[in-house]
Amino acid sequence: MSSFKIAISSAALSALKNRLESTRFPDELDDSGWEYGVPLADIKRLVARWRDGFDWRQEEQKLNDELPQYTREIEVDGFGVLDVHYVHKKSESGQGIPLLFSHGWPGSFLESRKIIPLLTKGSGGDPVFDVVALSLPGFGFSEGPKKKGFSVPQYAEVAHKLMLALGYTEYVTQGGDVGSRITAEMALHYGGEHSKAWHTNVIYSPPPENDDLSSYTAFEKEGLARGEEFQRSGSGYLAQQSTKPQTLGYSLADSPVGLLAWIYEKLVAWSDNYPWTDDEVLTWVSIYWFSRAGPAASIRFYYEFAHSGQGFGTRSSQAVPTIPMGCSLFPKELVRIPKSWYPSVGNVVFEAEHDSGGHFAAHEEPELLVGDLRKMFGKGGPAFGVVPGRSGYI
Amino acid sequence: MSTEVTYTVSIPESKLDILRQKLALVEFPDELENSQWNYGVPLADIKRLVARWKDGYDWRAEESKLNKDLPQFTRDIDVDGFETLNIHYVHQKSPVTNAIPLLFVHGWPGNFIEVRKILPLLLQSSPQFPSFHVVAIGLPGYGFSEGSHKTGFAAEQYAEVAHKLMLLLGYNEYVTQGGDWGFLITRTIAQKYGGKHSKAWHTNFPASTPLQFSSNPILYLQHLVTPYTEAEKAGIERSKWFAREGRGYFEEQATKPQTLGYSLADSPVGLLAWIYEKLVNWTDSYPWTDDEVLTWISIFYFSRAGPAASIRIYYEVMHSKGFLQSSSPKPTIPLGVSQFPNELRITPRKFHHNLGKLVFQAEHSSGGHFAAYERPEELVGDLRKMFGKRGPAFGVVPGKNGYEDRVNANL
Repeated sequence: MSSFKIAISSAALSALKNRLESTRFPDELDDSGWEYGVPLADIKRLVARWRDGFDWRQEEQKLNDELPQYTREIEVDGFGVLDVHYVHKKSESGQGIPLLFSHGWPGSFLESRKIIPLLTKGSGGDPVFDVVALSLPGFGFSEGPKKKGFSVPQYAEVAHKLMLALGYTEYVTQGGDVGSRITAEMALHYGGEHSKAWHTNVIYSPPPENDDLSSYTAFEKEGLARGEEFQRSGSGYLAQQSTKPQTLGYSLADSPVGLLAWIYEKLVAWSDNYPWTDDEVLTWVSIYWFSRAGPAASIRFYYEFAHSGQGFGTRSSQAVPTIPMGCSLFPKELVRIPKSWYPSVGNVVFEAEHDSGGHFAAHEEPELLVGDLRKMFGKGGPAFGVVPGRSGYI
Repeated sequence: MSTEVTYTVSIPESKLDILRQKLALVEFPDELENSQWNYGVPLADIKRLVARWKDGYDWRAEESKLNKDLPQFTRDIDVDGFETLNIHYVHQKSPVTNAIPLLFVHGWPGNFIEVRKILPLLLQSSPQFPSFHVVAIGLPGYGFSEGSHKTGFAAEQYAEVAHKLMLLLGYNEYVTQGGDWGFLITRTIAQKYGGKHSKAWHTNFPASTPLQFSSNPILYLQHLVTPYTEAEKAGIERSKWFAREGRGYFEEQATKPQTLGYSLADSPVGLLAWIYEKLVNWTDSYPWTDDEVLTWISIFYFSRAGPAASIRIYYEVMHSKGFLQSSSPKPTIPLGVSQFPNELRITPRKFHHNLGKLVFQAEHSSGGHFAAYERPEELVGDLRKMFGKRGPAFGVVPGKNGYEDRVNANL
């Protein structure tokens, strides 16, 4: 294990600036708004800022100051050793509930930034957590796998082994986007003995066999309709990344503006009117641009998931994790399933519904998300004391 | 008043410099071991092509050949409800006075260059087969044609531009050949201008739909009881492959073309990979030379409207109100279909009757999506059979049956 500080070389910084300076922009259709993709004005403004004004060194410094980072080698069965980057912040007592936080795509370890201070410090009646936020292999500053077939079980294995390596033989998890799928796998595979409870902000399953549309509430039908709309107009990236990630990868690796547009479109479309500042966006995208494995690596898991029968619409087995599960529902999440489907996902003991927030819950509504975790794991909560000896209270 | 202006491809040196600069700075991704073509274009292919594009590939020489081989022009065409667009096209008249006027329409990721090999064959004069006057339009937003800046420019508009071009060239009556988007566009031409202007249409991309008992009862029943041929079975497998593994580009281009467009405009290697993948996957082991690929991609890179414009057609067509009903009314003019085994969507042969008045069908044992480029002899052979003296569409264009007068006199 080594402690890690983000330190992007000046060569990389000036190379980026060079490319930004020679950006060739497309035109745009009149009055097309966001219909066809990210508007040109947004992209031009962001590129201009990225080129001049955005201070990566300052952002880098802030990240290093806020988030204690490390790297550690993890052996993955059949894939060799991967050097994994992660944030590890203990509560003040050092005896908080061990919590693994998993990001998704187009997220990163950065998504733990706002929830970590809240999770590791409570007030009075709140439980506290020791937080581990990993960079999934192929993301952030983690190495990416070199071989084909690195799919859900492998991501779960890495996260689990990381927790064990840190001395957390028993832990809980929080995940959204693909982090939800990964923590679901952890709950199934390592649940009971190691993973004690799991919380997600994306509860998803394919329709059960006897799917009866007439039994759903209007609210539930609307949620399903949102999912269908996502399929229809918002899942082009998914289709491409699930079939030909390498082809797309050439663009994402070579063109900062291409990468920016590809990710920024989702940051806006998937959040609930979150007031992204330009520098916030650029920090987010810069992590992809400067990532250890390169931006093309981060999208390969879509292909692996789709081709291993372990994709978002499936489970690796028919079994359902039995450990306690919590879910937080945010209105701008991409899909919402009817409550009657919950038993096919997990043993839901905690559910919270919110009026604001979207897909990037930890970043958009950190207080709400942490509030839910405190309720779920706190005294009187349905998952209180799941980790023996680590109730989150001194 | 629309005047024709002779066009010479002549990319400014400054643009060539910018391309070279970008190629010098290319940043490559890595690649998974043994991934071959499964995840997309292999890294080795891309590296080799980029190295050639940067050093060795001679755009000026290719440009010169294009200008020599393909007589090109531009002219302004008004589009109802849209702007006046300056349209680029290839036009060559046959030595045979009464040659059949033929409009050739490309698709994506094609462009006017696809007419290159069939052009000399179509122009040939012989008592054995008909000759054609050839017009190969550069679709708006492709090659050296302007693109519209307004939303909603869909199948009807592309059809209108192509049809008006033929009229402006003095071809009041004509026939069409199209594949990929050219299929949809020439079908729209057949629906809107068929009978009076378009006299017959031929396609190598028959996007046929299942037969309905109500409209074709005999064929429907025949289809039910006749086992599929080997070619049909292979075609169904190919279509399944395409639906499962090959439609990512379609989904993105049909929903967020602008987002993708930033990559395609800014990154030559990104554009190269995006298109080259199709040039290989959609053809039937066509032995592309590197320079052939690079010329094809360079036309996109140097295109007048920029590479991002060419993909908007997917969004527009898929969002156009008439799209779901676009197969009706069925065109009534004669239809010819040429089937190549590596086409992307292959349906049972009987389904082609659903497209319209099927009078000609040909089956080939090799060739793919870019039929005019991969199998020019076969494609032209089919057109000659369809429109020739004993063909089902002989003489569809009154006074222009494709043969010399002395042949006409002997009939």
